[in-house]
Amino acid sequence: MDGHGHRLSPTAPRRRRVPVRALAWAGAVAVPLAFLGLFFAWPVATLVARGFVADGALDLSGFAEVFSTPRTWRIIGLTLWQATLGTALSVLLGIPGAYVLYRCRFPGQRFWRAFVTVPFVLPTVVVGVAFRSLLVEGGPLGFLGLDESFAAIVLALVFFNYSVVVRTVGGLWERLDPRAEEAARALGATPWRAFRTVTLPALGPAVASAASLVFLFCATAFGVVLVLGGIRYGTIETEIWIQTTQFLDLRTAAVLSVVQLVVVAGALTVANRARTRRERALNLSSAERSARPLRPFGADALPLAVTVVVVGGLIALPIGNLLVRSLRTPAGWSLDNYRNLGTTGGRNALSVTVWEAAGNSLRTAAVATVLAIVVGGLVALVVSRRPRARAGRRAITLLDSVFMLPLGVSAVTVGFGFLITLDRPLGIDWDLRTSGLLVPIAQAVVAVPLVVRTVLPVLRAIDPRLREAAATLGASPGRVLATVDGPLAVRSLGLAVGFAFAVSLGEFGATSFLARPDTATLPVVIFRLIGRPGVENYGMALAASVVLAALTATVMLLAERLRGDRPGGAGEF
Amino acid sequence: MAEREATRGLAVRDVVVRYGGTGRRGRNTGTTAVDGVSLEVAAGEVLALLGPSGCGKSSLLRAVAGLEPLAAGSITFAGRDLAGVPVHRRGFGLMFQEGQLFPHRDVAGNVAYGLQTAGAPRAQQASRVQELLDVVGLAGYGSRAIATLSGGERQRVALARSLAPHPRLLLLDEPLSALDRGLRERLATDVRAALTATGTTALFVTHDHDEAFTVADRVAVMDAGRLLQVAAPEDLWRAPASRRVAEFLGYQAFVPSGVAGTPVAPESDGDVLAIGPQGLRVQDRAEDRSEGRAETGGPSPWARGVVVSSVFRRGATEVTVDTDLPGAGERRVVALATTLPDGGWQPGAHVALALDPAGCTRVPS
Repeated sequence: MDGHGHRLSPTAPRRRRVPVRALAWAGAVAVPLAFLGLFFAWPVATLVARGFVADGALDLSGFAEVFSTPRTWRIIGLTLWQATLGTALSVLLGIPGAYVLYRCRFPGQRFWRAFVTVPFVLPTVVVGVAFRSLLVEGGPLGFLGLDESFAAIVLALVFFNYSVVVRTVGGLWERLDPRAEEAARALGATPWRAFRTVTLPALGPAVASAASLVFLFCATAFGVVLVLGGIRYGTIETEIWIQTTQFLDLRTAAVLSVVQLVVVAGALTVANRARTRRERALNLSSAERSARPLRPFGADALPLAVTVVVVGGLIALPIGNLLVRSLRTPAGWSLDNYRNLGTTGGRNALSVTVWEAAGNSLRTAAVATVLAIVVGGLVALVVSRRPRARAGRRAITLLDSVFMLPLGVSAVTVGFGFLITLDRPLGIDWDLRTSGLLVPIAQAVVAVPLVVRTVLPVLRAIDPRLREAAATLGASPGRVLATVDGPLAVRSLGLAVGFAFAVSLGEFGATSFLARPDTATLPVVIFRLIGRPGVENYGMALAASVVLAALTATVMLLAERLRGDRPGGAGEF
Repeated sequence: MAEREATRGLAVRDVVVRYGGTGRRGRNTGTTAVDGVSLEVAAGEVLALLGPSGCGKSSLLRAVAGLEPLAAGSITFAGRDLAGVPVHRRGFGLMFQEGQLFPHRDVAGNVAYGLQTAGAPRAQQASRVQELLDVVGLAGYGSRAIATLSGGERQRVALARSLAPHPRLLLLDEPLSALDRGLRERLATDVRAALTATGTTALFVTHDHDEAFTVADRVAVMDAGRLLQVAAPEDLWRAPASRRVAEFLGYQAFVPSGVAGTPVAPESDGDVLAIGPQGLRVQDRAEDRSEGRAETGGPSPWARGVVVSSVFRRGATEVTVDTDLPGAGERRVVALATTLPDGGWQPGAHVALALDPAGCTRVPS
């Protein structure tokens, strides 16, 4: 067995356990479960049940009714179609990007890597506004006639998810031992053949993992579609929003929530499979040895050209255009749009000034981050353990999947579920809806899976023998956590804080339901501003989007700084 | 070792370690890594567990450390049963093949780790770290980052780290196997020196018999989960308890006792003559030619063979020969040559082999 034995489970009689330890682990499992149960499972289940329970009896006729309308099928078709197209394009464009940005070496590389990550953390509403301002009649690309078109939505989805593919695939590619490809070349394979037969199969799991995540993000896209799709295009998620808020048709909304859950569960299963495969050992080497200088006029011309077009046209152009347009007013170049952020908009479009909304955003995001880090950190800690008993390992796999669910359940469903359940949480007479805590809690629910996925790989990558070495040196299990796991995971925790904060800042789906007018956050305010008439309001929306984008980018930049160059610290996004 | 001393050390009794197969109703569907092993390590003694990879020696070591549960049997230290005592309360040190140094601490931080968990005062920690770095030959390395160390230096730090908290027993799991040959030999001597200098009781797992002989007072040979023999290095070498042990130590061929040309030993009926790595010599060609004539002083030829290859190593030529040994049949063996004919020992050349009784021993068949 020599050294590998510990991975298997012994048939031996169980060792007696110290009760304190068992209690601590039970607590570590119970706290996140209680949080998720109260603030996710219960509201969502209640909302879905409302659609299926009529006069106290289960009534599934809603399914037949909803599925008999052509609108439903059109929405489902649109959702799957735009998600498929968005995913395919992201992968096709992302692989050359991963090659150029992670496998090659050129000056300014770090900047460009960070730059392509910016869209992923941009709030969906901002992305919507940025594309809209580009494609709208009179905008720089207005002549393409893509405003309120299907193509615009797909392009925005690619803009958003390009970095997911580049980072996931690039992170692996960077450390892939180049000697396997060199061996193929020496055996007579052309560069293309060596790539296709050696490198691509090795990257396969990372590509599959990225693709399923992108599909998930595309299929549940809300803010982007709501802003860009107009009335003609939508996804299941926007339809749930329309049915609940505009038509008050809870039954249809409930049926659609179930449909979305099925789609999401499918995508998550594929993602999970791909991830497990990825965690298996590959022949990895250090990044310095694998990278080679970029040959812009030689073999790297094609991937470089693709990447330049994507980074320039798809990423830089919308962001740059947003910035430029925010500085334009009917009277010419000025900072008026930014000055107006201190007002409540033309014809009092808002109840608070945009700066007050920014304050609200920062406050709620801070609370949400604390909640998400505590809950997500505990989940990651529990899930990173490998118990000897098979039942224990199964339970941990289950726990892992359960905490991924909030990624896929419509944030709109969560938000609406909060409204109808949390007036009397668990029968306690404490109306959470007026406490101001609802928004951060909802945002934390959305951020928890990201925290888990960022911290977990780092905890899993710690050699179990390191903990064993500490134990033989007299460290109790608690001390091992504090002196081995803690210091090694703390940097990834920094990145997790950044992610959680950025996601909370940009969260729109649930927040749009829960934020009261005086506690509106930036995304809510931006959405309200573009919905109101008036050049002044539109200009303010652009300026507010720039402010929100700058806030998020700053947070991510700080978090990346914290991360450093530790391998595995990149998490899975 | 005296009985009293043995009870102050480690005692392993009928230990069984199993993996895998949580079969229904206790049916064992897994593998048995350690199958009823008993052994003792006296206080201050260094015992090497020697065996091929996969023989269960590391599993036994992990069981002693408390990292693997026992399926049966008991482990006691100083007369106290260790069942239910968690790893961190056993007071045993463990050193791994790759050191497993904490990457986020510097050299001194690693060595001090066990002292900090024990709550030793700061000044005492510092002086103990100094002392240990001296013992392993790394004085002045305290503030170095782990990433800047070579493989050999890392293992020295790992050794210092496990020795620092005065472990009652030090467990070493192939600590030198990841190093290259020259370094391994040098470090084996250094480990021996460090263990004796600190008077540490130790269990040393290795698959390399040279290493085991260098480091240990006694060597325990394991194979397929069972203990075959425990003896001091020279006793083990001189009198292997079985053919399997002899094979593992490097004895290359076995011929039945009493075959023509073997030294006669009266009360050894049924014994087998084990030919060691230095038990055969290639006879000089001159001697070969003079064979059948008057005695020329060299040993008489015992078998004939054809040269396959030859290498010059450590001052002697090792010639690989295909031969037909009396009583053992056709074999490929290595024989030593003290002379080098013009043009070396060419493959295909016919040579005569002589038996050197000093390089042979008897084992029960």
